[in-house]
Amino acid sequence: MHWKARLVKYWAYLSMGLVTAIILFLFGYVFYQGADTISWEFLTQAPSGAVLGEEGGIWPAIVGSLFFTATAVVLGSIPAVATALYMVFYCKSRRLELLVRMVVQCISGIPSIVLGLFAYSFLVRDLGWGRCILSSGVALAIMILPFIEVRAEKAFHELPAQMVQSSYALGCSRWYTIRKIVLPACKGELVSGIILGGCYAMGATAPMIFTGAVAYAKVPTSLMQPAMALPMHLYLLLAQGVTSMDTAYATAFVMMGLILLSNLLATIYARRSQKKWRIH
Amino acid sequence: MRRWKNRIFSGVILAMTILTVLILAFVIYFIVKEALPTFQEVKLTDFLFGQRWMPIAYTGEVSFGIFNFIMATLYVSFVALVIAVFVGLGAAVFLSCVASERMRGILYPFVDLLAGIPSVIYGFIGLAILVKYFIRLGIPTGSCVLAAGILLAVMLLPFLVSSCSETMLKVKEAYLPAAEAMGISKWYAIATIVLPASWKNILMSMILAIGRAMGETMAVMMVMGNANLFPRLLGKSESIASVIALEMGTAVVDSTHYHALYAAGMVLMILLFVINLVIMFLREKIID
Repeated sequence: MHWKARLVKYWAYLSMGLVTAIILFLFGYVFYQGADTISWEFLTQAPSGAVLGEEGGIWPAIVGSLFFTATAVVLGSIPAVATALYMVFYCKSRRLELLVRMVVQCISGIPSIVLGLFAYSFLVRDLGWGRCILSSGVALAIMILPFIEVRAEKAFHELPAQMVQSSYALGCSRWYTIRKIVLPACKGELVSGIILGGCYAMGATAPMIFTGAVAYAKVPTSLMQPAMALPMHLYLLLAQGVTSMDTAYATAFVMMGLILLSNLLATIYARRSQKKWRIH
Repeated sequence: MRRWKNRIFSGVILAMTILTVLILAFVIYFIVKEALPTFQEVKLTDFLFGQRWMPIAYTGEVSFGIFNFIMATLYVSFVALVIAVFVGLGAAVFLSCVASERMRGILYPFVDLLAGIPSVIYGFIGLAILVKYFIRLGIPTGSCVLAAGILLAVMLLPFLVSSCSETMLKVKEAYLPAAEAMGISKWYAIATIVLPASWKNILMSMILAIGRAMGETMAVMMVMGNANLFPRLLGKSESIASVIALEMGTAVVDSTHYHALYAAGMVLMILLFVINLVIMFLREKIID
């Protein structure tokens, strides 16, 4: 074999091996280190101890994270999917399409910490919402908007053109076509895109540091309260040093578990529904 | 009735799209509005090229220079990219040219898991493993730019792998059958045809990856040591995003310090806009 060919071959196998090893190591390490501390009490109790979080559990942080994530997903996915629909089925002008694409690309380029700054000055201060789940939720929603939009647009584009054209040819309106043909056919990709977007929002810390996540709060009951969040809790545990290491590993365990689960769910769901419409 | 529904739906779609555009305008407006007062106190050139960041006058004068932070942001992103490209491109070759359709179906979501891991957890593992290792190598406290670069590289991998392998898959399908028909061995064809033919797209993925790396906050902040120094590979440094995350909580609202943090955010945002727009126009050009 020529040396170039051999080099590329070894390089490809070695890299893929390394990537696989890194992924297995990251999950394995966190699961192994955290497994001892995980218990029913840890999942369902509030944090306690002389240094907060040293003892007790993470229940308020789990619920808080669900609140943050749900807010972000609801607020982010609606404009994201609508923009994708507009780009693929409504927009007639090439220039307008370019503009919207540019806007989405720019939003995806805004660093999450800058979104935190934005939410702080606009929502927390100027609108007077204060530090609360909704303020952070908006910042997170903006963060995941382009993420979902790109996936949705890709799914709409990959839909066979005949399906849409035939529907128009039968005299169906655009609204009817989208509702009865486009959305059901793309359901898998849309839902998996939204789940992955939710994961992304759940793990983000930077946008919520000064907009809604706090070191300690009770289980939230409304969107206008500040709340605990898993990534923020983990960060604070680490900042406290050695004594909270066990609970830090266990918190990381919970987050990695959630990530793994939702990724699995998203992949399986997308594949299943894809199969369904391909048969028809 | 039906026409009416159709109209409402079109209206909602249009309104939501306009909302998306407005969001960007809003973010830019608020960041710029809060950033501008900085420049009544500090000269723009002093802000961008000054090396002293003394937001509070404990000793001597206050001073706002973010040159080191800008350089640290660029430096650590570059280090991360170099590492990530080396591994990511290889993995992309594997995925596009070795793996079967079925294997790809499993490996893509598998590699994507890396993108799902929250950056605090990257930072955590960086602290628990990389930083400890660097201490053993004799670096005081173990926090350094290289540690952050390695962590960031892992975070960039999924983006590089998926975008590069997508390109290479297309190129491979277009050229490899012809090359093999001419008796060129598969690996020689990959090395001399597929890789060179994909370089434009690979380069674009790399620039986009640098943009992603620059905006990353938590993981970098946790392992880079956060000292206002000019970045060196094994020295401490502090990125723009870290300064904002660390100091925003203590900055007095409406003080110059507060506005300067927004100005730092604005600089970061502008850098990323430039990167993203350049990529967009390059892509339009290549497609047309």
